[in-house]
Amino acid sequence: MPRIFINGQPIDAEPQHTVMEAARANGIVIPYFCWHPQLSIAGSCRICAIQIEDRSWVEIACNMPVSEGLRVLTDSDQVKTYRKSIMQLMTLNHPVDCGICDKAGECTLQDYHYLYNGAPSLSRDVKVRSTKFHPLSERIVLDNERCILCSRCVRFTREISKSNALGIIQRGDASLVRAAEDRPLDADPYSDNVIDICPVGALLSRSFLYQSRVWYLQPTPSICPGCARGCTVNIWHRKAEWKLNALDPAKNVRIERVTPLENPSVNGPWICNKGRDLKQILERPRAEHAMQKGGVVDLATAIRSARRLIDHAAHPVALVSNWGSNEELAAFSQALGARFTTFVKHDWAAQPGEPIEDDLLIRADKNPNTLAARALFPTVDDGGTLDGATDLVLVWGEGFDFERVPRGAAIIFLNAYVQPENGHADVFIPVSIQTERRGHYTNFQGTVGAFEPCFPKKPSIADAEALFASLAISEVEPA
Amino acid sequence: MSNSKLLMTFPVSATSHTLVEYRERGGYATLEKVLRQMTPTQVSAEITASGIQGRGGAAFPMGRKWGVVHLNDGQPHYLCANADEGEPGTFKDRWILENAPHLLVESMVIAAYALQVRNAFVYIRGEFDLPYRRLAAAVDEAYQAGYLGARILGTDVSCDLVIYRGAGSYVCGEASALLTSIEGRKPYPRNRPPRLTVRGLYQRPTVVNNVETLANIVGIVANGAQAFRAVGTAKNPGTRLISISGHISRPGVYEIEVGYPWSKFIHEDCGGVSGGRQLKAVIPGGISTKVLTAAEIEPLHLDNQEVEAAGSSLGSGGMIVIAEGTCMVRLLQVMLRFYHHESCGQCTPCREGMGWLHRIIDRVVAGDGRPEDIERLYQISAWNDGTTICGMGDAAGYATSGVLNKFRDEFEYFIDNKRSRLHGNLECLASS
Repeated sequence: MPRIFINGQPIDAEPQHTVMEAARANGIVIPYFCWHPQLSIAGSCRICAIQIEDRSWVEIACNMPVSEGLRVLTDSDQVKTYRKSIMQLMTLNHPVDCGICDKAGECTLQDYHYLYNGAPSLSRDVKVRSTKFHPLSERIVLDNERCILCSRCVRFTREISKSNALGIIQRGDASLVRAAEDRPLDADPYSDNVIDICPVGALLSRSFLYQSRVWYLQPTPSICPGCARGCTVNIWHRKAEWKLNALDPAKNVRIERVTPLENPSVNGPWICNKGRDLKQILERPRAEHAMQKGGVVDLATAIRSARRLIDHAAHPVALVSNWGSNEELAAFSQALGARFTTFVKHDWAAQPGEPIEDDLLIRADKNPNTLAARALFPTVDDGGTLDGATDLVLVWGEGFDFERVPRGAAIIFLNAYVQPENGHADVFIPVSIQTERRGHYTNFQGTVGAFEPCFPKKPSIADAEALFASLAISEVEPA
Repeated sequence: MSNSKLLMTFPVSATSHTLVEYRERGGYATLEKVLRQMTPTQVSAEITASGIQGRGGAAFPMGRKWGVVHLNDGQPHYLCANADEGEPGTFKDRWILENAPHLLVESMVIAAYALQVRNAFVYIRGEFDLPYRRLAAAVDEAYQAGYLGARILGTDVSCDLVIYRGAGSYVCGEASALLTSIEGRKPYPRNRPPRLTVRGLYQRPTVVNNVETLANIVGIVANGAQAFRAVGTAKNPGTRLISISGHISRPGVYEIEVGYPWSKFIHEDCGGVSGGRQLKAVIPGGISTKVLTAAEIEPLHLDNQEVEAAGSSLGSGGMIVIAEGTCMVRLLQVMLRFYHHESCGQCTPCREGMGWLHRIIDRVVAGDGRPEDIERLYQISAWNDGTTICGMGDAAGYATSGVLNKFRDEFEYFIDNKRSRLHGNLECLASS
């Protein structure tokens, strides 16, 4: 391992590392715009300037291989002066419209300006005007004036998502990032990652455009339930201390956006567009009240009725949800597993037009916890008719065809969303969704990931883990 | 004019570029000798011994560039002639392409043999029409005569030559951008390391040489390195093609021996400044080299070392003569407009800096200059000095600071008085 010195501090670097990677591995900060750990080296922003001791010029850290005895300075006077000049040039044609920019608060350009320059622009000439709100795709708009041409987005579509959808046209300070006409960015299921890796507010999410300032939001770590990959994500929602009362209070309990939470063992720093749109899954109209044959009852009554049905059943069958957390599935197994003939139900299947599977992240199984469910309940529901002797069916979660229930059998239905079948069940109990509870999913590789609650659960909604223990208590008085 | 000529050795006629006449001048005999009697290493050794420096502007020794390529590393190697002659003021390669295309082809096959190259390329500037047609015709003739293609002259040596036409970008003259362009991508120059001789075209070791540099190979190999070294100076042997333009009586391409007296060249060989005016300044080797005043060039010889000692460079040999009465503010405006237009926009200092320089000088010329503008021009030039991916940022900086250093008073006058101290035209009036 070559030993290098950064600001005099000895570091044993990996032989294939660059100075940038060696510095990062040892917690030494070198600023960068165009460099990204997962992308090829562009070397174009020049902000990662460093100086080799006894050399009179600056060089860039991202493209400098380490070599034995290399002595690097990351904050010599010359480096500081140079970074200052780069920041002058970066902001030369940048509109500096942070006040109306979605990126403000998490913008690299903004941070670096205060860290490395802080001085007003030296220019007295008009800025280069360019396209605003260029529709790059159905999901992304581009502000070319804010763009600093780091080419991260272009390299992402070439090297990671491999859609080759983006490129740079024109040259000099008229350069523009544009989508290829024959390879639209819309076809790229990973396109929204370019919004995250954009160091400035040039690439903007249409769904998040002007929705919220980021400093009003807090990220809650979670797991994307969209497929068996189980990517770790941050679900961004309004901070409790910035609660809105006068405006629409619904804004306090809604998902503002979803971003990847870097996890090298599962998804790296990326997620697919389905993960960005979790609100389309998790914010469908919610079932909020327990029902018996369509009539609203309180939760305790519904639980008692369900217990009675279980007590009296001779051949009860259960279909458990592979959207249940590890804890919920274990609770079912422990409380009711011996009582029921249990099948694992696949709650979700791929929607029309949805990418089925690829070699980056997306898996064909569109459910988050199939592996854990099958470990506890080896029999998978094959979608065929149920045993004719069945006199009670407990259905947990979506994706079940109630036509399959034998005539005369009672139905207990546990569901989180409004669905016509809710009212047809003998007992319907609303259950919480993953943004309202804590839990774990096991992805298709066996990696366990945790999700945390974002919002409070309504009292009329049951928590499945507690519910199963409660259902196991018999209503029949011991003799 | 010096008697030693290595390239312009024949009278140019309407047919002097053809294979028939090239053969009459002894063409392709050297190739035959090389393929039958020399090993690749011998050819390379001869080139190294000749001490020839690159003629494209950077004056890098050709032998050293070739020396990096390992012949037995099991990879394909590539050779590319840089015929993307885009440096303003330079049109010397054009002369070779138009009048001696077979000299280039023969030289390239010899170089390909020395470097074990199966596929060689010529990247020719898109605006070159006649040079392209002449070169394409020469390549066709060479294929038909068996000097190119499979089993050249019946030997085991094979080499294909592909002509690739550029699309009009100045940065494509930068070797790595040129290769990226051949690969079919946007011609952004590449970061070093790796050097192109380690990872160039299609990620393989690639030698990129200027057309004039390559064209000297036939002469070096035919007459030996010693004969080549007999011409020119010890450190910089051989001749240079100088393309001279601007306010000069007889503009054109001249071949001079390195070390030829500069003022003799301008005032005698080229007929002096047009219209009988006084010489004000000379841009020695394309606009990316620093301007020198008439007094500065007076004692100098056309030798890169002397010119570099004087703070400039012979560069690509594109000499621009500036007559007395020319407004240097307007001159700098034209130069900066060019650099702004041609910046590829990849790295920050050049992308933003060129436009900034251009906007400042435009404002100064429009009569809205500010006293701090001169400092700003210096500052932006310094920000580009050695800090960009390719040499274009440096070049623009040199050009700017060169003009400012020598003619600062004209800029100050222009800013103070909102007009040029001179009549302001760049064109030399024919009647004057």
